[in-house]
Amino acid sequence: MTEPALDIRTTNAHREIRAVVFACRWCALLGADRAGKERIDLPASFRIIPVECAAGVEPDLVLRALADGLDGVAVMGCHLGGCRHNEANRPARLRLLLLQDLLEIIGLDRRRLLLSWGTAHEGYQFAGLMREFTAILAGLPAVDPTLVRPC
Amino acid sequence: MHSTLQDRIRQMLAGHEVVGVLGLREHEGAVGPHVFTAEEDTARLVVEPKWPLAKTGWMIVRSLPAGKALGLVCRGCDIRAIEELVRAEQIRPGALRTIGISCSAGQAEVCLCETPFVPGEEPSVGVDPMSMPAVRRLCRDPDRLNTWREHFRRCIKCYGCRNSCPICVCPACKLEDDGYVTTGMVPPDPLAFHLIRTMHLADRCVGCGACQDSCPSGLPLLSLHLAMRRALRERTGNLNATGALSLMLTASHEDGTLWEDTLGSGKPGGGEYER
Repeated sequence: MTEPALDIRTTNAHREIRAVVFACRWCALLGADRAGKERIDLPASFRIIPVECAAGVEPDLVLRALADGLDGVAVMGCHLGGCRHNEANRPARLRLLLLQDLLEIIGLDRRRLLLSWGTAHEGYQFAGLMREFTAILAGLPAVDPTLVRPC
Repeated sequence: MHSTLQDRIRQMLAGHEVVGVLGLREHEGAVGPHVFTAEEDTARLVVEPKWPLAKTGWMIVRSLPAGKALGLVCRGCDIRAIEELVRAEQIRPGALRTIGISCSAGQAEVCLCETPFVPGEEPSVGVDPMSMPAVRRLCRDPDRLNTWREHFRRCIKCYGCRNSCPICVCPACKLEDDGYVTTGMVPPDPLAFHLIRTMHLADRCVGCGACQDSCPSGLPLLSLHLAMRRALRERTGNLNATGALSLMLTASHEDGTLWEDTLGSGKPGGGEYER
């Protein structure tokens, strides 16, 4: 026996995908809103946390979310050049790209962190991104339980 | 070479340029940091083994009154660390007078150091960390997640990596904050504890290896930081993001200063995560 018995959620076939979306309230949150108003089909895998700006999402928060056992995290902000807060999303992007690099370095898939800059502004765009993201996460194994904080 | 080093220290002490010179001293068969204040003491100065002294120097210098300086016998990595601390307004420019020694090629290989020399001196040979098999096994191998898991499991959360790091000088630390890293849990959350530390150092790490040297469990932390440095350089073209922008939100304050104001310029400082 190599691994301890896992509960049903951690086996791939029946696993419930859990993700969190940090959505900038000037862009991606509007997209999410519209997706709801237009009654577009959305996967039930995610919860949205509205933020004033994507730059407020520290890499530490993303790591905290992954350490709590979530399958993935999405950070969605305005298009580059369209930030309401003094171009704050440019350094935020660099920072989160480096976090993707770090996940890759220790062997987690970089696609667990989805970045979107101005590509989720319309309802159908947001829904498309979330469907794609959920499909990617479903194809990845659950985050190793020994890497996750026991809840 | 050793005697010219001693001559320079004697010169500094004789000229009252500095209150003392921090270096390594051999004492009763052991080597440790020591502040040389008398010229005749310097006979017991040694330069081996490698022992990054920037953090020790910072601790001494921050309690010195304005206008006083401390000498420091150090290596290339220490000089880079001091540059970073000056930039972050943790040390007054000129408060640490460095006497640099370049490292040997053998030492550079142990430290996986690309730049084992002191600015202004003859550049000695460094190594490319990403070409070393040990680093490649940790950062490129397909099975690296398991390797890292086994390493992280041995962590005893002694905070030695943070405490020895010349760059980790925030008064408040997220690694002690229950919101980010669960307190009272050993080993710590591997994803949170080690990766938050790596992210905070991503644009500031000087590659001195003090974290790895001080780790009682022998975690290969330096490989993690060096791989991040490489990723940063590939993304920005710089080894450090120095000057351009401060990437990482550590314990930042309302007025934009990153750390507690220790230089007494009248700006507010200290406290928890103020926003």
